[in-house]
Amino acid sequence: MRRLRGEGPWAWLAAGSVALSLLLLVALLALLAGRGLAHFWPGELVQIELDDGSRFAARPGREERSAEGVERLYHTGNREWLGTPWRWIEVARIVEQRRPAELVIVERRRWGDFIGRVAGLEEDGVALDIDDEAARWTTLDERLGRLAQLREARDALRQQAVMPRVRALAAEQDVASRARLEDELAAANAEVLALQARMARDRVVLESVTGERLALPLEEVLALQRPNAMSLPAKLGAWGERAWRFLSEGPRAANTAGGVWPAIFGTVLLVLLMSLLVAPFGVLAAIYLNEIAHQGRLTRLVRISVRNLAGVPSIVYGVFGLGVFVYGIGGSLDEWFFSEQLPSPTFGTGGLLWASLTLALLTLPVVIVATEEGLARIPDHQREGALALGATRLETLRRVVVPMALPAMLTGMILAVARAAGEVAPLMLVGVAKLAPQVALDGEFPFLHLERKFMHLGYHIFDVGFHSGDVEAALPLVYATALLLVMVILVLNLTAIFLRHHLKARHGALPR
Amino acid sequence: MLAQPDTPAANASRDAVIDIDPGASCLEIQGLSLAYAGTPALSDLTLRVPRHRVTAFIGPSGCGKSTLLRALNRLHDLNETVSRRGAIRLEGQEIHAPEVAVAELRRRVGMVFQTPNPFPMSIYENVAFGLRLQGGLRKRQRDEVVEWALRSAALWDEVKERLGASAWSLSGGQQQRLVIARTLAVKPEVLLLDEPASALDPISTLKIEELIRSLKSQLTLVLVTHNMQQAARVSDYTAFLHGGELVEYAPTDALFTNPRLVRTENYITGRMA
Amino acid sequence: MDITSDTHSQHISKQFNQELEELKTHLMAMGGLVEKQVQDAVTALLDGDSRLAERVRDNDDAVNDMQLKIDDECTRVLARRQPAASDLRLVLAVIRATSDLERIGDEASKIARNAMSLAEAGNGSKGFIEVRHISEHVRKMVRDALTAFARFDIDLALEVVHEDEAVDSEYTTAMRSLMTFMMEDPRSISSVLSVMWILRALERIGDHANNLAEYVVYLVKGLDIRHIDPDELDEEAIKRRG
Repeated sequence: MRRLRGEGPWAWLAAGSVALSLLLLVALLALLAGRGLAHFWPGELVQIELDDGSRFAARPGREERSAEGVERLYHTGNREWLGTPWRWIEVARIVEQRRPAELVIVERRRWGDFIGRVAGLEEDGVALDIDDEAARWTTLDERLGRLAQLREARDALRQQAVMPRVRALAAEQDVASRARLEDELAAANAEVLALQARMARDRVVLESVTGERLALPLEEVLALQRPNAMSLPAKLGAWGERAWRFLSEGPRAANTAGGVWPAIFGTVLLVLLMSLLVAPFGVLAAIYLNEIAHQGRLTRLVRISVRNLAGVPSIVYGVFGLGVFVYGIGGSLDEWFFSEQLPSPTFGTGGLLWASLTLALLTLPVVIVATEEGLARIPDHQREGALALGATRLETLRRVVVPMALPAMLTGMILAVARAAGEVAPLMLVGVAKLAPQVALDGEFPFLHLERKFMHLGYHIFDVGFHSGDVEAALPLVYATALLLVMVILVLNLTAIFLRHHLKARHGALPR
Repeated sequence: MLAQPDTPAANASRDAVIDIDPGASCLEIQGLSLAYAGTPALSDLTLRVPRHRVTAFIGPSGCGKSTLLRALNRLHDLNETVSRRGAIRLEGQEIHAPEVAVAELRRRVGMVFQTPNPFPMSIYENVAFGLRLQGGLRKRQRDEVVEWALRSAALWDEVKERLGASAWSLSGGQQQRLVIARTLAVKPEVLLLDEPASALDPISTLKIEELIRSLKSQLTLVLVTHNMQQAARVSDYTAFLHGGELVEYAPTDALFTNPRLVRTENYITGRMA
Repeated sequence: MDITSDTHSQHISKQFNQELEELKTHLMAMGGLVEKQVQDAVTALLDGDSRLAERVRDNDDAVNDMQLKIDDECTRVLARRQPAASDLRLVLAVIRATSDLERIGDEASKIARNAMSLAEAGNGSKGFIEVRHISEHVRKMVRDALTAFARFDIDLALEVVHEDEAVDSEYTTAMRSLMTFMMEDPRSISSVLSVMWILRALERIGDHANNLAEYVVYLVKGLDIRHIDPDELDEEAIKRRG
């Protein structure tokens, strides 16, 4: 402030614009964080009685003012009976509102959430006789714990015993070995089935506030909470757990529930592949333009064109990618190498490879421009110093010029990553999928599956937000996913910035 | 000085150019003219540079002294707009002859620039840079040459504890001595110095000047400077260039106490031309 | 190269011009004072004016002060300007010239002291003709040397150098005749001895004037001719050089 005094209106105007920009940025992040993170908070449940005598249990949401008065949105769950998990209620119609501690919200594998009470527990179809409320909860927790252990054992078995034999079978020609493998596989499968049978033992009996009953196998339960009975630390723990599941699980229920792990993975993998592709091309092009090419009219023209390419709308790159990479190159590849699978395309359809190539093309100008600027900043006497020691131009480039331009190249990569991670439009043409549960990197040869379709956070936002049947459920997910996308880009950029800083620190600042 | 041969010369400046004995000369420049894209920078320069001496080129900005220095190292090869006439001979061998490899020439004729330009690598690697280009040295031998070069450049005691540190962590004066060490490591016959101290503080400047004097016994030095006191302090012979021409070339003692030509006098005493 | 008297006013630095100009002005002022001292001393002797002689003796302090002052200025110029070529030669010539002028001043006061003792003794004017003759000659040399310095006049300076030889031979002749006086009249020995001292001083003044002239040659041509016999001096070569 003191610095601005006496600087006149221009300084204030400039400072004002900075403040306004920062304010807008903070507001954006606050909105995303507020709405996105609140989604995972175990808000309390209410039991409501209306003026017509009907009752329901729900989690209250936002309010809207209409001509008839204030309306409030309630998340009621229980889709199988109510048809929709959402209900708008005029606040004036509420006669009674209670918060019974025993209300539970159960996240189920199918049918969305259940809101109501736990009426009892069944083991092999026989009700357990537990009267004490506390003992019932303890038992439930204990059974859920047993289930988790069984599930872990089953998954491990699948990973270690079943899958390797399936793969070995596909490759094995010898009849004797095949027979042995098949036996082993059958044994392993039987073990898995036995485990699954044990998992199906327990069921929880749920009862809605209006009296409908439901016996739900514990296996179907993803999460079971009593928000009204939870202390603050317990709520925080539950919040963290839900947030972690959002990050680590795949989507469910047409992307309106579950997590976004495949989308995170797809986004990061796409950006990394894109960087791998764009870095050598961009850097080599910049080196040619700045160091090797004769600095004449043609070079200037090329340079101007490259700079202008940065302004081409991204969807145009998408169209190019579709036409050239997917149909052109991909189609030919299929004909040459994957003809046994035709007409179902392998590379002749959108996939990770084509998407990263398209993005690489899109970000190429950014990398070229940044690298060129870095090269141009290196004083000539550095090059001459190497030449004067008898180095050739190639040696000078490799040992002096490129190391000095590395930070600038990384700056180019940072800009490229920032741009690529946020692009959605071209991806829609060259390989992004609404749902691709198989991530492109797994333990199966050749481990990285470039032809697979993939999920992407940006496209996920678009899909969840605009193509989902359940808008109310989707909205918080949109915010959470958007926040996540920002974080992913931030992490990628911070990595590059850290790398650049590390490089600069190794040799100090460029001598002027 | 009275004993100077009284040759009647048509050109007045011819009289003011000392004739170095060809046997004692290391570099011989004959009728050298150089032009950038048609603009002449040097015109018809003829002089000999004595072996194991410090020869300074002085003159106002744009007089062609740096151009001349760069020509001795064939740095103009990079610039296609430069046209050249005349001969430059290193120990009797024309440096533009087809059988002379430019990399080999530049190893024999080292160059140090105005701004210290250490490479973005460690102190050790900077000095070893030229050696690695040549290859063929074992680590032990390379270590020895690096130490010798740093000692010759009077830098060893300051950096021996941190040879692995970045060269850019050194002060400007140390960087310049490092650059000199880097050049010395490939054992050049001639060392060209283009304003080697103009970016340095006075103490660093004195160290560089001391170094220049001490290197005289090993090699021939050619110094370009716009600092006349510096030329007077370190050089044995001084050539005054003006407008791309060699005006006067004489032993430094004579040139700075009693120049033969008004143009030289005016320049070194700071008078208006 | 040749320099002329206005060479020192062409520096890009006006301050430097002024400093060199002041050096020359102060040297000329000192020269003027010293020349007047010589003249007054001789006048005091010839006229038997012991008061004038006393004044000459006292004025010698002023001459010494001027020398210190000019030397100081020279030191300052050397330290701050690091002059080269003709500028350097000018400063060196000025330093040397002040030292010679100071010696001339000393000789003048020596003459004055002898004039005082002669005036007190009140006897005789033996050898005064020789004194008058040589003193005129020597004063002209001092004056010419200073003029040559002021004008950077190499011809005039070389003239002074040759003049000195003439003075030396006149001195030898005068000494011989004074010896004759002493032999003829032993009573006059003490006064004649004083006159001989005076002649000796005048001869020394001539030598110093010769030095001044040599500095002019150094200043203008950059040649040091101090230890070259004037007869062997190749004047044409000196003048042609440049």
